[in-house]
Amino acid sequence: MPDRLATLDRELLAAHAAGDMPALVRLYAEAAEACEAEGQSDAAGFYRTHAYVFALALGDARAGALHAKLKADGREQ
Amino acid sequence: MTMHDDLDAVLKPVEQARGLPNAHYVSDEMFAEEREAVLFSSWAGLTFGKEIPVPGDALPIDFMGMPLLALRDRKGQVRVFQNTCRHRGMILVEKKRNIGGVIRCPYHSWCYALTGELKATPHVGGPGQNVHETIRRAELGLIEIASHVWRDVVFVNVSGTAPPFEVYAAEAIRLWGDYEGRPVVAGGPESAFTFDVACNWKLAVENYCESYHLPWVHPGLNSYSRLEDHYNIEAPGAFSGQGTLVYRPMIAADGRRFPDYEGLPEKWREGAEYIALYPNVLLGVHRDQSFAIILEPRGKERTVEHVQIYYADDSVAGDDWADMRAENARLWHTVFAEDVFVVEGMQKGRHGVHFDGGKFSPVMDGPTHCFHRWVAERVSAAS
Repeated sequence: MPDRLATLDRELLAAHAAGDMPALVRLYAEAAEACEAEGQSDAAGFYRTHAYVFALALGDARAGALHAKLKADGREQ
Repeated sequence: MTMHDDLDAVLKPVEQARGLPNAHYVSDEMFAEEREAVLFSSWAGLTFGKEIPVPGDALPIDFMGMPLLALRDRKGQVRVFQNTCRHRGMILVEKKRNIGGVIRCPYHSWCYALTGELKATPHVGGPGQNVHETIRRAELGLIEIASHVWRDVVFVNVSGTAPPFEVYAAEAIRLWGDYEGRPVVAGGPESAFTFDVACNWKLAVENYCESYHLPWVHPGLNSYSRLEDHYNIEAPGAFSGQGTLVYRPMIAADGRRFPDYEGLPEKWREGAEYIALYPNVLLGVHRDQSFAIILEPRGKERTVEHVQIYYADDSVAGDDWADMRAENARLWHTVFAEDVFVVEGMQKGRHGVHFDGGKFSPVMDGPTHCFHRWVAERVSAAS
């Protein structure tokens, strides 16, 4: 899994450089899931927050589920 | 004698009055004072609704140094906000664009709905913690600026102290009641143009609202629109302008005319009217078309005039009418361009230190004095 996170990091940097917001939503959400699997809940919250913000900015339907999870974790209202 | 003592002469009846003193055209101090007393405290024209035609369209505008954001929300309502994040004061939107979701501040990603509500405050309570007891989102929405759309002009009252637009502009709305609620269909790109002129914005108002200059500055109009065919329009404290009794619609070589608004009273068959709705919006209506000019003050001696021509029917916006729209726009452009040397010349003239504001013709300059008086009243009341 650390390998996957390292790969994600590179993919995220590329998506940021390209301004590819749909990809940012997907990659940050995936990073959150990866951290959660490793028991890193704060890191998961960090990444999921980014996925949520970019989904909000896009008007992407994924924002709803991301918000629900953040709220369930006490990270969002 | 102070600058404001000079305004007593402006407030006299037109027969005895003087025009606004030079300082109102050449002084940084007065430009700043009028920003507050004349433009921010009234309903000023900001932009056109057609500039933000679909939900999510957002247009940042620097309005006399005030960063504003005009947008169309998801329900189609035009709104204007201060273009400033409530967190660290960052400018939110730098370029015109469509916003698919929320307005995301590019600094720390605080997010706002198109209705202004603060929707997200990422990491505000620490990494991954997006809430904090002191960050009350309900109190931290975008600052909304009072706005109203009339005849496709987006008006704003920056100070928030003016009466509702329908009250502020009641007399103008009543004057043109025959057109109220009718379509104002923006022509194509050819129907919008600007003039960047070296004058104080008020000189463009003053020149627009009187017909005295027409035979001298617009000789081409003389053949069908003589001075005696015009009348003054004066609504003290609200607007002033002129009307003509001999408007003739444009007829193409093949005999086509732009479609008229249906069912207009006889007055409009050959009548047309042109008013300056104070402070900075110049409007004209005719049986088959209208236009609006927003005067954007860029400085004490610089104004950008944004001209937009409208038609009575959606069909005119189509390709079938492109040639006629282009010809019509060319005609209006020619007329408005003829005024540039006048307003720029009056600006230069106001550096003459012995100019006393000028002497009005009681017969011909009433609409101009009406505007001067309105400005003087507002500046006096604010000082």
